[in-house]
Amino acid sequence: MDMEDNTTVFSTLKSFNSFISHPEPPKRHSEQPAGSANLQINYKRSMELLDAAERVQSKSQYIQLDQEKKQMELSHKRARFELEKVATDSARDLEREVDRNQDLLGRIKRLEEKVGDAAKNLSEQSGNNKVLRKNFDDLNKKVLERDVRLNTANQMISSLHDEIRELKQTVQNQDCTISTKNLEIQSLQEQLDLQRRRYQEMSQLCQSLQSAQSSCSEHVNKIKELERRLSLQEQDIALVRTMRSEVARVQDLDKEVRRLREDNAYLRESRENSSLLKEEVEGLRRKLERMEKTNEDLVNSELEKEVLIEKLQAWENLGQSTGLNIRKPEDLSREVIQIQQREIALKEQNYTLSSSVDRSQSQLQGEASQQRSKALEEQKKRETQDALVRRLQKRVLLLTKERDGMRSILESYDSELSHTDYSPQLSKRLREAEDILQKTQSHHLEMEVQENERRWVFNTFIFFIGVELELESVRKQQSSVAESNSGMVIEEVLLLRQKIEDVEGERQRLEEQNNILEMRLERHSLQGDYDPVKTRVLHLKMNPTNVAKQQRQQETEALREEVTRLREHLRSLKDAGPLALQDDPHTGSPGLGLSLPPSQEVLDLRKQMESSEMKNKRLKEVFQRKIQEFRTMCYVLTGYQLDVTTENQYRLSSVYAEQMDDSLLFKKGSSGIMQLMETEFSKTLGEMVALHLHHQKSIPAFLSAVTLDLFSRQTIF
Amino acid sequence: MTSTLKGITLKGSAELVAEFFSFGINSILYQRGIYPPESFTRVTQYDMSLQLTTDGKLKDYLTKVVAQLKEWLFDCTVQKLVLVITCLETNEVLERWQFDIEYGCGRRTKSIKTIQDEIRSVIRQITATVTFLPLLETACAFDLLVYTDKDLMVPEKWEESGPQIIDQSEEVRLRSFTTSIHKVNSMVAYKRTDSA
Repeated sequence: MDMEDNTTVFSTLKSFNSFISHPEPPKRHSEQPAGSANLQINYKRSMELLDAAERVQSKSQYIQLDQEKKQMELSHKRARFELEKVATDSARDLEREVDRNQDLLGRIKRLEEKVGDAAKNLSEQSGNNKVLRKNFDDLNKKVLERDVRLNTANQMISSLHDEIRELKQTVQNQDCTISTKNLEIQSLQEQLDLQRRRYQEMSQLCQSLQSAQSSCSEHVNKIKELERRLSLQEQDIALVRTMRSEVARVQDLDKEVRRLREDNAYLRESRENSSLLKEEVEGLRRKLERMEKTNEDLVNSELEKEVLIEKLQAWENLGQSTGLNIRKPEDLSREVIQIQQREIALKEQNYTLSSSVDRSQSQLQGEASQQRSKALEEQKKRETQDALVRRLQKRVLLLTKERDGMRSILESYDSELSHTDYSPQLSKRLREAEDILQKTQSHHLEMEVQENERRWVFNTFIFFIGVELELESVRKQQSSVAESNSGMVIEEVLLLRQKIEDVEGERQRLEEQNNILEMRLERHSLQGDYDPVKTRVLHLKMNPTNVAKQQRQQETEALREEVTRLREHLRSLKDAGPLALQDDPHTGSPGLGLSLPPSQEVLDLRKQMESSEMKNKRLKEVFQRKIQEFRTMCYVLTGYQLDVTTENQYRLSSVYAEQMDDSLLFKKGSSGIMQLMETEFSKTLGEMVALHLHHQKSIPAFLSAVTLDLFSRQTIF
Repeated sequence: MTSTLKGITLKGSAELVAEFFSFGINSILYQRGIYPPESFTRVTQYDMSLQLTTDGKLKDYLTKVVAQLKEWLFDCTVQKLVLVITCLETNEVLERWQFDIEYGCGRRTKSIKTIQDEIRSVIRQITATVTFLPLLETACAFDLLVYTDKDLMVPEKWEESGPQIIDQSEEVRLRSFTTSIHKVNSMVAYKRTDSA
């Protein structure tokens, strides 16, 4: 219902809005022509709109009120429903309450009836009570009388009980004493058993100790042997360790060996390659040399070729140069032949000339000797001429000095006089003097030239001789040096190779040693070794190991003390045991002055021990007496003294025996039958033995016969 | 202190190494059963759960040793740390856990995370070695030895001792870790059992 109201509100609002919006567009069209009319129209419209709005508002209010009314009605209805419900519930409750009330009323009535009954009962019982009280009083009196009687009786009873108690106590005391004494006996017997067991154990222990000692000695020997074996084994172990370490290295060595083999193979290959390469190199060097030689030869040949070409050209140009009409080699050969012919001719001439030359040489030598002499003479002459030259030079000097002087004079004269008068004469004189000077100088120069030529010839001769000598000496030196050098080089090479091989071997050995040492070092460093020069090992004084060791020591010392104390206690107990038999309990614990005092149990046990031993003694005495009595009675009554000599052998000696040694020996056989043994006395009784033992098989008859026989012998008279 | 820097200082590296030793020793004592397992409590370190002792005397002893060790690491005078396990009845050495310390120049910058990862793998390996080490059946006690330079002054309460080398030993090399200033190599040596 509300939703419908809302929709009506919205629909009215929409219609209102549409109504408002509608008149706007047409207004715009008609704005311009009618302004005031429009205003009125607008005013009316606005008023109408306002009215419409008011109406809408009233409608909406009406609708809202309707809605509220409806809601109120709804709520009223709900309230009514609820009230009705509440009313019904309260009616029901009322009914229930009424019912309850009736129930309660019924109960009350019943209870009232019960109360009346109870009151009746009460009155009845009060009457009963009175009656009972009377009876009670009577009974009380009776009770009192009886109490008095009871008291007397109780007194009697108590006295009797006391007597009974006393008797019981005495009985109990006696029982206790009996039981304690029985216990003492049992404990002493147990102690006896214990002692016997201990004795057996001790004997067993002794035996075991002896056996253990023997085994110990054997073990000691074994230990010594084992120690010897151990030492040997330790040596073996050391060897094994080294072997193991070496074996561990084997793998590395194998790898190294493989590597070295590969290196070796590689080196061999490389060596071969190197040798091959060297050969190649040498071949190449030779080739190079040859090539160089060929190059030189080439160069030389080229030079020769050029020379030859020039020569050829020259030869070709010969014809042009010599003008001999040469165009072909034939012409050349012809010319050559001609020339050869000429040459031959010339040679002949030459030979002739040479012969003449020889002659002339010889002549010349003679002449040379002459000339040498002449040269000597000429040297002398030269010397003289030198002297002359010197004189001449001196003269020249003097002349020059004169000239200079003359010149100076002349110049002085000229300076005084004019030039042209006396200068030509002077110049002529000058020229003459100069000519003379020049001639002398040329002559001097010629002399000097000749002398220089002779000296040069002499020097060259000497020089050539010296050069020849040097050449010979150098050639000798070169040959000797070459031989020595080659030998030296080969020996040095061999020595160096050997050195290299030795060094390489040493290097490998050192490498191996180095590797071994490095392995050992690492092993030692892993194990914890250190260099005492550089390092130091420190630890705290109060470390857990020391503390644990100290605790252990303290525990062991405490245990040892306890052990010694217990041993002393045991010894004291053992000492106390045998001493207690002598009935002296006070000295039973001499060594335990500081330790436990002798307890009550120990004293009781000692007393029991003593009493049991006393009983034993008495019993033994009694037995002995009884036995003695019995034996004497047997001797007296039967007439035979029975002695047990050894096991199952019985010696009988008669009362009426004539000698002390006369006796009969009976032996109990394995089957239990008594047999007579042979003695000196039995030999004399052969008849009786045969009759009573063999025939009648009765030992008592035999014995009685023997007694009768002896008696008869004794009491004949 | 070291978390803010990119690299590591000498002091920080010494602290890291000392801390590793403290936890490593506790792990070894727990794994080898030198002290009863109920005297250990679980803690978290290096992103794994480790056992730490609650015994008062043992704690005091370990703190003393680790403090001195930190000093020596800072001075770069300690060469080795050895944990020796001896049998109380026969007084012979049964196991030897050895940690070698090498000193570097510290130029390589390493982050704390990588160092802790390395330490974690070392401690895991220590736990795993229990599988092949022989059983310690008798009552045992342990001792901590420090190998230092000879010319070092011996502090109070410390004394010189022998190297306590095992008679016939098998050695196993374990992982190592480095902080670029200190490098720690771990190894264990145990007495050969002659049952084979």
